[in-house]
Amino acid sequence: MAEGEEGPAAGSVSEPLDLVRLLLDEVVFVKLRGDRELKGRLHAYDSHMNLVLGDVIETIYVVDDDDDDDEIRTTTKKSEMLFVRGDSVVLVSPQTSS
Amino acid sequence: MASGSHNTAAPGFGQTYDPFAELSHHDDIDEALDFEDTYDGLGEQLDEGDDAFNDDTFGDTGVSNAPVGKDFDFFGQTAKVSDAMEEEHQRFTRQQPVPKSTQPAAFQGYDTGYSAGYSYHQPAPKPARTGYEKYKQPEPVSELQVDASIWGTAPRKTHTPVATTQAPAQPSAPPASRKMMSLEEVEASMRAQAKAHAAAQPVQPSPQPTYGAPEPQVPAQPVQYPRQESFEHHQPQAQVDNRHPQGFPPNDYQQMAQGGPHGHPVTILQRPHSKHTPSAEPSVPSPMPHQHQPSIAPTQILQNPSRDAARMGMGMPAQAHQAHQAQGSFPGQPQVIPQASQLSQLSEQEKAAFVEAEARRAKRNHKIFAMSKDNGLMTPQDKSFITRIQLQQLVSATGDPNEHGTDAALAEDFYYQVLSNLRAGQRPNPNQPLTNFAQTYLFQTGSRHGGLRRHGRGPENHVQRMEQQVQRAVEAAKNKPKNKQLVIEGSLGKISFSNAKTPKPLLNIKRTDSGSDAPRAGSSHRPQATGNIADKKAALRDIENVYLTLMKMEDLVRNMPPPPQPNVQPDQEFIDKQVEYERLINQLWNDLKVHEPISTSTVHPFINFISYPKGKKVIPRVFRHISPKQRTTILTMIIVHLDQLDVVRGAQVHTGEPITLNAATRESIELFSMAVMPSLFQLLNESELDIVTGVLGLIIQGIKVDLVARTRIGVSMLTMILSRAELIKQAGQANDQMWQQWVATFNQFFNILEPTLPNIFPGTVTSGEDIYVWQFLAAIGIGASPDEQQRLVLAVKDRVMDTVGLAKTLPADMAKERLDNVNLFMRSIGLDVELLN
Repeated sequence: MAEGEEGPAAGSVSEPLDLVRLLLDEVVFVKLRGDRELKGRLHAYDSHMNLVLGDVIETIYVVDDDDDDDEIRTTTKKSEMLFVRGDSVVLVSPQTSS
Repeated sequence: MASGSHNTAAPGFGQTYDPFAELSHHDDIDEALDFEDTYDGLGEQLDEGDDAFNDDTFGDTGVSNAPVGKDFDFFGQTAKVSDAMEEEHQRFTRQQPVPKSTQPAAFQGYDTGYSAGYSYHQPAPKPARTGYEKYKQPEPVSELQVDASIWGTAPRKTHTPVATTQAPAQPSAPPASRKMMSLEEVEASMRAQAKAHAAAQPVQPSPQPTYGAPEPQVPAQPVQYPRQESFEHHQPQAQVDNRHPQGFPPNDYQQMAQGGPHGHPVTILQRPHSKHTPSAEPSVPSPMPHQHQPSIAPTQILQNPSRDAARMGMGMPAQAHQAHQAQGSFPGQPQVIPQASQLSQLSEQEKAAFVEAEARRAKRNHKIFAMSKDNGLMTPQDKSFITRIQLQQLVSATGDPNEHGTDAALAEDFYYQVLSNLRAGQRPNPNQPLTNFAQTYLFQTGSRHGGLRRHGRGPENHVQRMEQQVQRAVEAAKNKPKNKQLVIEGSLGKISFSNAKTPKPLLNIKRTDSGSDAPRAGSSHRPQATGNIADKKAALRDIENVYLTLMKMEDLVRNMPPPPQPNVQPDQEFIDKQVEYERLINQLWNDLKVHEPISTSTVHPFINFISYPKGKKVIPRVFRHISPKQRTTILTMIIVHLDQLDVVRGAQVHTGEPITLNAATRESIELFSMAVMPSLFQLLNESELDIVTGVLGLIIQGIKVDLVARTRIGVSMLTMILSRAELIKQAGQANDQMWQQWVATFNQFFNILEPTLPNIFPGTVTSGEDIYVWQFLAAIGIGASPDEQQRLVLAVKDRVMDTVGLAKTLPADMAKERLDNVNLFMRSIGLDVELLN
């Protein structure tokens, strides 16, 4: 979703985090450092982008150096509740496919 | 340094260490000698075997305790100050009357030697070192005390008059004490006295009047030893040489801790005795024979009748205190253990029981010991100190617990405050006053102290002091300047205070309220995103605005002053808050977008609003604040757009096909049932028949009943409407005209619904999720005319028969469940599934 969308009631959006606020209780896609991605319901966030997510599916991308063809493996984990420290958050986005 | 040059001035190499070198500087009367300073440890290397010649060296001193002649004036100097000392002594006894009364007479044999030589110079504040105690029983030991004068080439001018009976007699003699006696003089005098006292010696054992029960006879023995020990300490000049043949190194040490300083008995020795119950004392076996005490630590044994006391004696005063506490962990142990002789008299059974009990006790004791291993590391004072620090932190961190509900408290810990408000009913007193808070918390520590230490006043004092401290902390927290910054004159910037709760802000960006100030040049020119995305964002924004407004309102309600008395003019604050509340309700209503124009092309904003989970969840909270009229408007809004609701739109079920709703839709339906339906249901239950009729009319006018009736939410909604009408009818609240209107509307509705009826069942007959449908059919059946009832039965006959047939193949309980569901409908039209069998 494009940031800075000026709708009819733009009063509540005055800083980037206000857009994250709109995603509260929604399923979001979070990209993390270390080739990780999360998909889960956003319960809470703060100014450091610390996040609390619920019903999370975490996807970890691992490049297998052993093989010459650099195959990428993915590992997924499910967590009922997850606290994500903000310094590892690269991107937060609404879950588009629904 | 590695230069290799040897520092000859450094002690330890080639230099004879003179343990008394320091003493010569200590002319100050107030300075007590520290044993550690004077003892060089050489005693440990003594060869006891050479003691045989001691007498040759020192004369026959072993049995001598003769009174000294007047030719020695050891107390001449002291006598000059004896009046002042006597005064001090009186004062001291008045201050500590109890312990002193039991002051060990047993020590006096060597006390005379020690206290005279050592430590009676100690000022009063350190009772451990005062030498005044000996004056308590001057008479019976007068003879013993004479010895002191033998050794005392009194190095100090402030020798106490050791024996009040004798010492005062001497002051007339010229003060010789300043000048050290030569070894020859000392020896000569000793020999003379030894002879003089040889006869008097045996008389002495008797005078042991007041020392506690444990060893009545033992105290007689020190008579022989004190003098030898005293030798070491009271012949400063000859010390180093003399101690080799005769010293008792361990004794020295112990005496230092115990006997030497007279005050110690008060603090250390007395304690174990006050600890032990008197009955316990005698049961502790006396560790020593009564005669011919080996020259090892007679004083120690003397003074320490019990094991614990002995332990204490070995240690330094600080450790003694610890031991004293640890000892408290084994109360009464000695009494519990029967003597072996008693044991032999018991029967086998009793023996077994005893052994078992013994094992249990041993186990328990071991456990206690394991737990109490580190007991006493902190004194009660230490603990209460820590507790007070913690309390102070607690109070300063959370503010006054009395200030529940204030802005500060809310800002500090919003969720706790709200939760405690919500749970207020469950607790006796949510706003527990601070004093209770402190008392509740402190009482425990207080009582624990009480258990540890017997003197009653201590714990209360701690509690009181802690309460006071907490009060002070609260005061301080109240008075703490609210602003987090300090501008010091002349400085260029502001100083920010920070603590763990409110870290120092590194960036201080003022946020403009309008938000339009934010430069948005780029976005403002962007064309409006079309369709879904814009709608979605708008809906999300609306939801957030609703939540924001709701929170403001709830905050306002929390701080709302109590409504004024009916005939009292409400104060301005109340009026202001009410006005603000009205304003927020309006804002909330606007945020809900209920009054947006209804357009056929796009989904209405409010319907979009409640298609989000958080939109659904907010409905009950909104209903709490808005007026009944507004609620009815929302109900109308939902009814009008019933077929557009997300929980209806994609949620149709198909009879005879497996239920294919995806997880998200199911979740959504569940949430709608939990969050929205109860609010609507309650609203409808308070509505009159005209509204119910109106609602049903809306459904048949604008909505595809076919679609609605094939969803769970739709069916539930219809059931709700129909059953409300039936309830009104049964309560007799409806007038004829209104009822006729309702019947007309109902008939119309039935006609529309009838074709759909066979298809409203979810899944196949085996799916078993059709209870809501039977409820719906029951609601129809009750209100239907006989004609309609017949059509109803025809429409759903197949499903009824299938279910009954299925029930026969199911286990009894499941079959009954299915049949009960069907019976909901059957009984509403006066039938029963039993009739079908």
